[in-house]
Amino acid sequence: MADLNGAVERPAAALQQPPERGGEAYRRELEELQKVDFVLVELNLYLDTHPTDMQAIQQFNQLAQRRQQICYAFEMKYGPLKHFGQSFSRFPWQWPETPWPWQV
Amino acid sequence: MQDGQWREWRPYAGHWDPCPPIRVKRYMVPPNQYIPYQPMNLPQYSLDEALYRGTLWPALFSPYPSQGQKQGGGAHG
Repeated sequence: MADLNGAVERPAAALQQPPERGGEAYRRELEELQKVDFVLVELNLYLDTHPTDMQAIQQFNQLAQRRQQICYAFEMKYGPLKHFGQSFSRFPWQWPETPWPWQV
Repeated sequence: MQDGQWREWRPYAGHWDPCPPIRVKRYMVPPNQYIPYQPMNLPQYSLDEALYRGTLWPALFSPYPSQGQKQGGGAHG
């Protein structure tokens, strides 16, 4: 299955090279992050008007921690999601590498 | 309407109307109009489902189908 950029996904070859940025696996893992992010947004807005809802706060904190774990694993594998110090980078500097998360 | 959120009304088609009459006008009243203050501990969607439903709480779920799939066939019946 060739994707838009004409890069034919060869499962066998993909194992040796670093995981393909923007490929199927990248999108799947990014989607997991997006799911957690969406629920965090919902809970954040909810908590703005319900500051005393202990259960929601616990859920929010658990999800925030889980989001950090998912994000850390993702960035270790595919490179930084954000710049200006909000993500780490390997050597050489990875930020200019395409695709950026919003391009995928 | 089938779904509690959808309402419809029939505008009067006058004799001298310049354009073809729109027999049935449909509009939607989302559930958040009926919840002045969201109660605590409402049931929630699972993590996977929330993103695609567009909300974390089924009580507030309010799909807005595009023109074609609107409840009960075409919008201008």
